[in-house]
Amino acid sequence: MNTRILAVLSILLPAVLAAQSTPPKAKLSASAIRIDMVEAGDVPIPAEFRYAIYERLVERVRASGAFQKVYRMGDHSADAVPDLVTLHTKVEAFKQGSQTERELVTVAGATKVDITATILAHDGHTLMDQKITGRVRFFGENLGVTNDLAKRITKLVQASF
Amino acid sequence: MKLGAMILAALAAAAGACAQTESDGAIPKVRVVIGLQDVKRDTSGTLAVHNGILEFRSAKASGQVPVPAIDDIFIGAETTQSGGKTGRVVKTAAIAAPFESGKALTILMRTKVDILTVAYHDPDGAVHGAIFALPKGQAEPMRAQLIQAGAHATDTSKP
Repeated sequence: MNTRILAVLSILLPAVLAAQSTPPKAKLSASAIRIDMVEAGDVPIPAEFRYAIYERLVERVRASGAFQKVYRMGDHSADAVPDLVTLHTKVEAFKQGSQTERELVTVAGATKVDITATILAHDGHTLMDQKITGRVRFFGENLGVTNDLAKRITKLVQASF
Repeated sequence: MKLGAMILAALAAAAGACAQTESDGAIPKVRVVIGLQDVKRDTSGTLAVHNGILEFRSAKASGQVPVPAIDDIFIGAETTQSGGKTGRVVKTAAIAAPFESGKALTILMRTKVDILTVAYHDPDGAVHGAIFALPKGQAEPMRAQLIQAGAHATDTSKP
């Protein structure tokens, strides 16, 4: 019995120590962010989903307090901010489900959006680039996927800044 | 004869109720999904175009978009649940109903709506998107009204 415990500990201990010794990831810094309109590319996604993701992102990033100022795309007053970063999102895949199907069958009818979120510095170099998936699995209308997605992106942005 | 007149009157009343558009072109029972400044999400009210302004008005708040600031208008559709917040509470409570009988409510309470997305810019040039849920069949006339008032919109008839 004791031999088994020792064997398990000998496997786990180095992993735990390695995890503890990893230095915490340095946070990025910027006073302002500009949120770009969601790019659809070749993916056929209805316009209301793109605009809803954009609006919810503006709302959530503002509420997170990670930046002193949150600008929308096209806002001329953002041009003068020296440490402005830009959040760019591009849709990679979209599957429109059905609210009725979801609520009746539970395992079917999910709405899913895959996107790539990129944060660019003022000089154009990439600070962060990650794939994120938003879903509506059980209750709520299909547009609810935009809220899930915005929540996940904001969490990521907040963890980085 | 009297019965015939009564049936006609009843039909006329039903037709009046079905015609969602008010006499001044305003559309009642419109819900703001998101994106209209000064109006909270899921507020229900009336949407109208007058004097070069797209105006949403509810009992508690109102929001306006100047028609010349509109860059594009999109129409979509969504199946949603009727009954508003009360409907949501009833449906949540029905989960506890035996033999999953509460799921019948899902079928009974579903309703189709038109989704009208109005892309516009503010005086600083910042892009906004106001999304409205309108009674079925009302988005196209509203889009036509906005285009007639001078709003920009991509021609959807082109392939």
